Amino acid sequence: MKITVTRSGGIAGLTREWVVRVEEQGDPDSWFRLVEQLPWRPRHRSAPQPDRYVYRIAVSRRRITLPEQELTGPWRQLVDRVRDAAEQPEKD
Amino acid sequence: MRHTIVPPYLLRRLTTLEDPAMAHVAQAALQSLAMDESIRRHRAVAVEHGAQRGARRLGPPARSIFDAEQTETVPGTLVRSEGEDPGPDIAVDEAYDGFGHTHALFRQVYGRASIDDDNLPLLGTVHFGRDYENAFWDGERMVFGDGDGMVFGRFTASLSVIGHELAHGVTQYTANLIYRGQSGALNESISDVFGALVEQRVLGHTAESASWIIGTGLFTDRVEGLGLRSMKAPGTAYDDDVLGKDPQPASMEDYIDTVDDNGGVHLNSGIPNRAFYLAATAIGGEAWSSAGQIWYDTVSGGTISASCDFAAFARATAGAAADRFGVDSIEHVAVTGAWAAVGVGM
Repeated sequence: MKITVTRSGGIAGLTREWVVRVEEQGDPDSWFRLVEQLPWRPRHRSAPQPDRYVYRIAVSRRRITLPEQELTGPWRQLVDRVRDAAEQPEKD
Repeated sequence: MRHTIVPPYLLRRLTTLEDPAMAHVAQAALQSLAMDESIRRHRAVAVEHGAQRGARRLGPPARSIFDAEQTETVPGTLVRSEGEDPGPDIAVDEAYDGFGHTHALFRQVYGRASIDDDNLPLLGTVHFGRDYENAFWDGERMVFGDGDGMVFGRFTASLSVIGHELAHGVTQYTANLIYRGQSGALNESISDVFGALVEQRVLGHTAESASWIIGTGLFTDRVEGLGLRSMKAPGTAYDDDVLGKDPQPASMEDYIDTVDDNGGVHLNSGIPNRAFYLAATAIGGEAWSSAGQIWYDTVSGGTISASCDFAAFARATAGAAADRFGVDSIEHVAVTGAWAAVGVGM
């Protein structure tokens, strides 16, 4: 299972992307448990706030776009975890 | 602003003097006329507003700075209120001073009483989040991160960024441009315009001597770049191994269609940004009182819709320039020429 997080916007307008293959992680089961908790829902509801980030998240073939202020609960956990895991090699 | 005791009809006659030796007199008369017109307009606007909601007061700023202490909870703890002395935290004092400078631009140059033109308190939160590489306007307050220390330092370090965020508030209370696609790129560009103008006015820079860089001083020394954006030459602000190259387009030919960033609002803003720069430099001198006044009139004038596109905004700026400075004035010609140069047809 591949998870891609694309963060765009912010006052700097820089787009960053983090990719993780769950099977290559130390404990794939905990990743699957987190993915099962994700509250998928139709397009985001709130109006954009100027200069906040926009997150585009793809888990296998499912996709969602969330403004930063709606990145809460399991979505926030997922994004933080993907980012940490994807950046791990750079920290070595 | 100074008043003139020379009557307008005489000033108009002085502007027509053809003797080269009198050229400076003609120029001075033109400036006085423009200034008079500006004062009359401000008075008319003030009277109109006064009639709408009783006596309107052009009050001093009412600033409150909060500390989120590396959490993402706003507002955080109140650390400096209006009139209190500076403290040990530079981010707090930069936010406080930056709000003051931006408030002064709107109040002293455009006759606007804070963000809502009704003396709205200015709320700021600093130290938002952990390694947070951003600043934003959440609809009520300006919020600043400390950066990650690798690419970005603290976001209060740039006066143009502070002005940018406060200007988002002004846009919300005026044209309220929808933050998506072209209207979103205009929303972004307007924030860059007034962010740049706050900085230019504080530094005493003219259109010619200004850097036209948004976010000077945000990058750490490791980054090859001047700042976040260049209004003068969009696409040239940085070119770095980690960040890549500044992706902003400078004209409609290179307009970027994307789903990211609410439809590229921070990318395509390069196009109206450059139009502003071109208009300001064609007019010359202090950009905040010439092109800045035209842009302010456009944003606050009630003639553009929330879904306004580049072409409609361009027409509105040309109209505002003609209203304030006259049809075929230097200002009017500069504005129409600037939009043509970036490929925006009217």
